[in-house]
Amino acid sequence: MIYHLLKKELHSIFSTPLAYILVSLYSLISGVMFFNLLVTYSDGIQVVNPEMLKGISFVDEVVLRLFANMNFLLLLFIPLITMRSFSEEYKNQTINLYWLSPVKEWELLLAKQLAALIVILSFMAMTLIYPMVIWGVGINDLSLLVQCYFAILLNSLAYISIGVFFSSLTENQVVSAILTILSIMLLWMISWGAHLSSNYYLSELMAYLGITVHFERLLRGTINSQDLVYYVSVIFIFSFLSLKKLGMRKFI
Amino acid sequence: MEIPLKVESLSKTFGQRKIVSDLSFQVKLGSIHGFLGPNGAGKSTTIKMLTGLMLPTSGSVEIFGKKLDPTQSNYKSLIGLLPEHLPLYLDMTPRESLQFMMKLHHQKLDSSREEQMIELYGLKEVYERPIGHLSRGFRQRIGLAQAMVFDPKLIILDEPTNGLDPQSVVEFREILRHLSKTKTILFSSHILSEVELLCDEVTIIHQGQIKGSGPIEILGKQFKRGQKIHFLTKNSEVQIPNAKKNQTNTQGEVLWTIDFTDENDHRREVFEYCAEKKIQILELWTEKSDLEDLFLQLTESKK
Repeated sequence: MIYHLLKKELHSIFSTPLAYILVSLYSLISGVMFFNLLVTYSDGIQVVNPEMLKGISFVDEVVLRLFANMNFLLLLFIPLITMRSFSEEYKNQTINLYWLSPVKEWELLLAKQLAALIVILSFMAMTLIYPMVIWGVGINDLSLLVQCYFAILLNSLAYISIGVFFSSLTENQVVSAILTILSIMLLWMISWGAHLSSNYYLSELMAYLGITVHFERLLRGTINSQDLVYYVSVIFIFSFLSLKKLGMRKFI
Repeated sequence: MEIPLKVESLSKTFGQRKIVSDLSFQVKLGSIHGFLGPNGAGKSTTIKMLTGLMLPTSGSVEIFGKKLDPTQSNYKSLIGLLPEHLPLYLDMTPRESLQFMMKLHHQKLDSSREEQMIELYGLKEVYERPIGHLSRGFRQRIGLAQAMVFDPKLIILDEPTNGLDPQSVVEFREILRHLSKTKTILFSSHILSEVELLCDEVTIIHQGQIKGSGPIEILGKQFKRGQKIHFLTKNSEVQIPNAKKNQTNTQGEVLWTIDFTDENDHRREVFEYCAEKKIQILELWTEKSDLEDLFLQLTESKK
């Protein structure tokens, strides 16, 4: 069943120009960013004293920054993909087709999330060209790339589960997108707030709740179970809330 | 005999507001059952409860002898619903949408079924075109085809002829007549004449309460039908007893309306009265009261 639902989702996503526009925009913007980082880096190493270069690494200055920038772009792009998921079904009342058939809520939710993930993977596929360009010149470590893409993947999964949840709340796509962007920004900003509190436990808690700390650790490959638990929890909580929302119709 | 749909003391309240209260009626096997009521009577809310899309506050619904439980899915392939707002994917073609519906119901659209659907719903010329490009009439047919394709035994239609042009209404009626040979149909409407044309039995609701349920001939006698006579006159100065002056157009012609509560032909009287008073009638036509007027009369007379 999930296969049929997923096929239908991908059909609706890719039958509108929005998906293509977003994929093109994403690769254009991330391409400009990549170019900029390269130029800045190469300008930088020509200007500075070779003694000072020791502290500057290509991986830090270009690769990790590139992935951090890609993550920033996802903040804007994922809500634009997920905003349609349920909102459009509510608006056209096609959601009732599912509730009038033996489809289960979790099957529909999973299909929506997977469809969004596939779109994000197509974004990522477009970015594979950057490591190819600098392969052998700047980097030659495959495991670095794997961990960077893994970090982006986990972040995308978390953002998708948030986006699909907000889409399940409202039939207004714009509201859904705005709420998703605000929530993801909140996840980023919580950890900034950690520095403001003098209470040790509170600041530790805020640091843990923020997504950036975990993302940076993943990027640098210092992965631990704490980070994985964090991502799994975010994905699980928002999927659970979406399921609750979808099931609510049976109780009102 | 198996009863496709049995409703017992069904009620729905939102906060303090009672939308539907204490509805009880039955739909007989193989019948076309009309569900009549003016706009806002609670028809759509009731239909949502009959199909498990909404939970009743109290009361129960039985589908073919089994109590409807929205948390189960055993009843779902028994009911085909065509809601008032058509649930269509505008980017799909009719073929894709029928195939998708079959998959949702764990079935496969074989070619004989496909041909049957194309034939019955007249979809041949539009079968490979995106639904978004099609007219309202075609969309309505595709909506019905979608609700029917997985072969449910009970079909529920919510105001199916709303917004259709007269030609499409006639075609739609033919499709329903054809379907009624093998299916049980419940269909809601606010147009009495439509229900009279199609239905064997009817349930009438107003303000969430049943005003009557049973064979249409019996109920027809309970509700007296009226009519309106409209006519256009050249001169706006005259007074005509019982007539309501509606509007004057740019040429100075006046539209008058007289309400009659019986079904006798009053056109002659009106014409003769005007001829006697030398009032020139430019145009004259009658209109049978629809259900909404009937209910207005009914509620006004109670005040």
